[in-house]
Parts: sequence; C-alpha cells; structure tokens
Amino acid sequence: MSVSDNRPFFLNLLKIHLPVTGFVSILHRISGMLMFLAIPFTVYLLDLSLQDDQGFAQASGILQQPIVQLLTLVLLWSLIHHLLAGIRFLLIDFEIGLEKQQAILFSWAVFIIQAILLLLLIVGVYL
Amino acid sequence: MSAPGLQGLRPWIIQRITAVYVALCIVYFGLVVLIENPLNQADWSAWVAQPYNNVAIGLFIIAVLWHAWIGVRDIVLDYVPNVIGRLIVLTAVASVLLGSGLWGLKALFMVAIK
Repeated sequence: MSVSDNRPFFLNLLKIHLPVTGFVSILHRISGMLMFLAIPFTVYLLDLSLQDDQGFAQASGILQQPIVQLLTLVLLWSLIHHLLAGIRFLLIDFEIGLEKQQAILFSWAVFIIQAILLLLLIVGVYL
Repeated sequence: MSAPGLQGLRPWIIQRITAVYVALCIVYFGLVVLIENPLNQADWSAWVAQPYNNVAIGLFIIAVLWHAWIGVRDIVLDYVPNVIGRLIVLTAVASVLLGSGLWGLKALFMVAIK
C-alpha cells in the first residue's frame, strides 16, 4: 500500500462514467453478490423440500409469496446476467471479443440476450 | 499489496473450472425441470436421490460455494481497505459458505440413504 499513495483511488461507481462493457462488468459483480446472499436461504428451501410432503408444501408456499416471487425474479435476472457475462469473460480469456468494436457489440449482446431469456422465462412460468 | 494465497493463477483457474461445471449443471437442471417436471415431493426427492444426480448436485454445491468464495473475496479485497476489516468480513463470508455447504450436503446425503 505504501509504495505510492498518489495514485488515484476511485471506486465510487456513481462518479465513474461507465461504457457498456463496464456495465456488464459491474453488474457481474452485483449479480454475483446478490446470489451469494441468497445461498443460505436456497439451501434452507432445498433441505425443506427434500424432507417430506409437509416440508415440500411449506417450501412451495414460501416460493408463492409475492415478496419471495419478486426476490426470485431478481435472482433469476442475476443468474442469467452472471452466466452470459461470464461467457463473455471466458471468451476474453481466449482472446475473442477484445477489439473495441467487438467488445461493445458483445456487451450489448449480453444485455439483449438476457432480456430475451428473462422475458421467455417470465412468460413460460406465468402463462 | 499482494497477500500470499489470495491472488494469482490458482484462484483464477479454479474460478473458471467451477464456472464451466456450474453452467453445465444449470443447463441440465433447467432441461430436467422443462422435460420431466418433478413438481411433487415423491418425484422430486426420487430424482435427487438417484446416485448420478446426487453426486452431480453435491459437486454443484461445492463448485458454487468455491466460486462464490473467490468472487466475494475479490470484492472484499477491493472495497475493504484495512486488514482487520478484511479478516472480520472474510471470516463471516467463509462461515456462511461452509455452513451452507455442510447443510446442503447433509440434505443430499439424507435423501440418498432414505
């Protein structure tokens, strides 16, 4: 830390103007963090649903509450975004999509594909 | 700046291997939900109890938790500047992950031997 304290230390996201590639990146972190926070609750539901009929009914009941459905939707978005952005980052490891034009294109693709997948999921579940 | 064992190639490669395994599992689980639709308790626990599925889900849980550990740790190292703060937050994160992992694996094991 003490090597050079003159370097800009700039992590306040509200002050940074992000290009689309940057949005993919920071949303990858945010979606990952949200899913991390959901882990204990998800394990609780898994355990409950595997116990017996009563537990399964209880777990279904919890999942049908409006607030839980809203959270589930947020987590579904998180999963889809994290997966698609993750694929983009894996492609970068193989030096695919590194050029500026391509990087912007791939980042928009992440957002467009995730919107389509999320819509399909919502339509599939609710209709 | 660099803490031994917290940065470098090993966590980087583990992050990618677990990511690929988790992604493949999610596609498999998604297809099962779409095609087999195990929506009652008997079907659901029978599916989870099948040896291949049981092991795959167990590995899935370990992979997710390991992946989450590396990811959350990177965020903590970026946003928590002092050593004591890092130690406290990382200990809490590790406890949540370990607790969740043991809980999930126990649930899987209980279904497998039922």
